[in-house]
Amino acid sequence: MIRALSRLAVRIPLLIWSFIVVFPLIWMFIGAFKTNAEIFASPWALPQKFNFHNFIAAWTDYNIGSAFLNSLFVTLLGTLLCLAFSIPTAYALERLRFKGSEILLNTYLASMMIPSVLGWIPLFFLLLKLNLLDNLWALSLIYAVSHIPFTIFILISFMGNVPKELEEAATIDGMSPYGILFKIVTPLVKSGIITASILNAISFWNEYFMALILLQQESKNTLGVAMDLLKTNAQYESAWGVLFAGLCIAVIPVIIFYTIFQRYIVKGMTEGAIK
Amino acid sequence: MVQSKKQRYLFLSFCLLPTFIVFCIFTVYPMLGGLYYSFFDWSGTSSVKEFIGFDNYKQLLRDSVIPKAILNDYFFVFVKVLGIMILSLFFAVALTQLRIKEAPFYRIVFFFPNIMSVVVIGILWQFIYDPNIGIVNSLLNAIGLEQWAKPWLGDMTWALPSIAIPAIWAGIGLFMLLLMGGITNISKSLYEAAEIDGASEWQQFWKITVPLIWPQIKTSIIYIVITSLNGSFVLVQVMTGGGPGNATEVLGSYLYQRAFEDFKFGYGAAIGVLILVISLLTVIILQFVLKKEKVEY
Repeated sequence: MIRALSRLAVRIPLLIWSFIVVFPLIWMFIGAFKTNAEIFASPWALPQKFNFHNFIAAWTDYNIGSAFLNSLFVTLLGTLLCLAFSIPTAYALERLRFKGSEILLNTYLASMMIPSVLGWIPLFFLLLKLNLLDNLWALSLIYAVSHIPFTIFILISFMGNVPKELEEAATIDGMSPYGILFKIVTPLVKSGIITASILNAISFWNEYFMALILLQQESKNTLGVAMDLLKTNAQYESAWGVLFAGLCIAVIPVIIFYTIFQRYIVKGMTEGAIK
Repeated sequence: MVQSKKQRYLFLSFCLLPTFIVFCIFTVYPMLGGLYYSFFDWSGTSSVKEFIGFDNYKQLLRDSVIPKAILNDYFFVFVKVLGIMILSLFFAVALTQLRIKEAPFYRIVFFFPNIMSVVVIGILWQFIYDPNIGIVNSLLNAIGLEQWAKPWLGDMTWALPSIAIPAIWAGIGLFMLLLMGGITNISKSLYEAAEIDGASEWQQFWKITVPLIWPQIKTSIIYIVITSLNGSFVLVQVMTGGGPGNATEVLGSYLYQRAFEDFKFGYGAAIGVLILVISLLTVIILQFVLKKEKVEY
């Protein structure tokens, strides 16, 4: 279709948009190797030599290293907890009809429409009362819970494709419902689990506001909060190269992770999970 | 039989209860709590919470920042829906229907901003707009438009559109993928038939593609509206903190400042309720506006 606009003509906007997307990233990457003087001299020029000084300074002097590890911790734990809660619930809601299953599912889905901002203040005081502020385990749990509805939503559409006969056969063979759930259904919805987990992990890695509110000590900061802090310090100390290096440290792992697993995201969308 | 019924209940509770309990504690309770707190005057530090009824809401009505923040929120909604939908629809059609060999490359690259943290995007674009080291001004200088150069984020008029641009930049990839999914599912024979009937490419686009991916378009628009009303403040908070003056203030950033910086937690909670009411109303109205008979060919 639209052959009237020849393919060549269509490639021009595509190229322009690639440039608009990629150029800031390249600029950031190059900036990470520059000294302050070089950054001020010309925003376009390449650095005189590529040394990793800024990266080392960001990692050690500006706490990006510990923030990186904290982010890794909450991302992994949050993703696993979210699966532990969502897989059994999605299975029960999709496969075991019971009174109220529709209502329960709709409650979960409806909660996605409610702005999380509304809950910030009570959540802050709840954790304060439970003495769980500044606690990375608690933050992971909150991340996990916040993505339960979304994960259930994705998993249900994948579980719908698992043939019922398999479960029936297993029941006749005397397998317990727990066995059916974990040994038969869970492995069969692996690609749904991967799709949901990739999207969850990316958002936990990138989360900023919950961490800003619920963490206090600098040693507990995740990357989002640490980056914001680094920005403020960099402004006072004009440590621009270090800030660029910090941005790279936050972005490069997700870009690599995404490039490896992107086919699952595309699959999840085209197969109708997010329709 | 009794035994098996008991087992079924046990299994059901095993599947449902833990999730339901944490969901109630960390999602339902905070949301109801937000409503409850909005009726109190509370600085958070003192143990005294004073019940003041609707006083916070009365104050909302008199607060001159609130209408400004609502307008700014809707500015983001409008610009993002328009910018993201037009561009992602164009890219989705181009990448699915024109058999461009390098389409997978574009598909991957266009999604990059979607996987970046909003803080990182905010800081990066703050640099891009920086009056001294930013690329926008140095580009303008390079092509002889020095008079257009300005401190973008510090300018009362330009700060808001300057934040909207990275918001669009970061949104395209996701919706492009979603629309591509819809277009790929359209049967090729429809276009062939249309071609035989002499329909132009443009007509095919409006008569076949758009109606058949209308569900995806509708979902995308509603999704953009919700995420914009509930999430634009992160970019605002990172890039300008609502300034200069209140030029870029949105409800979310205002809530954060009143509650967590000025310790007016009751008032902050009332702003939270306002955000909820506004986003629900907007989505309900949108559902009506976008309602269209589902097309089956």
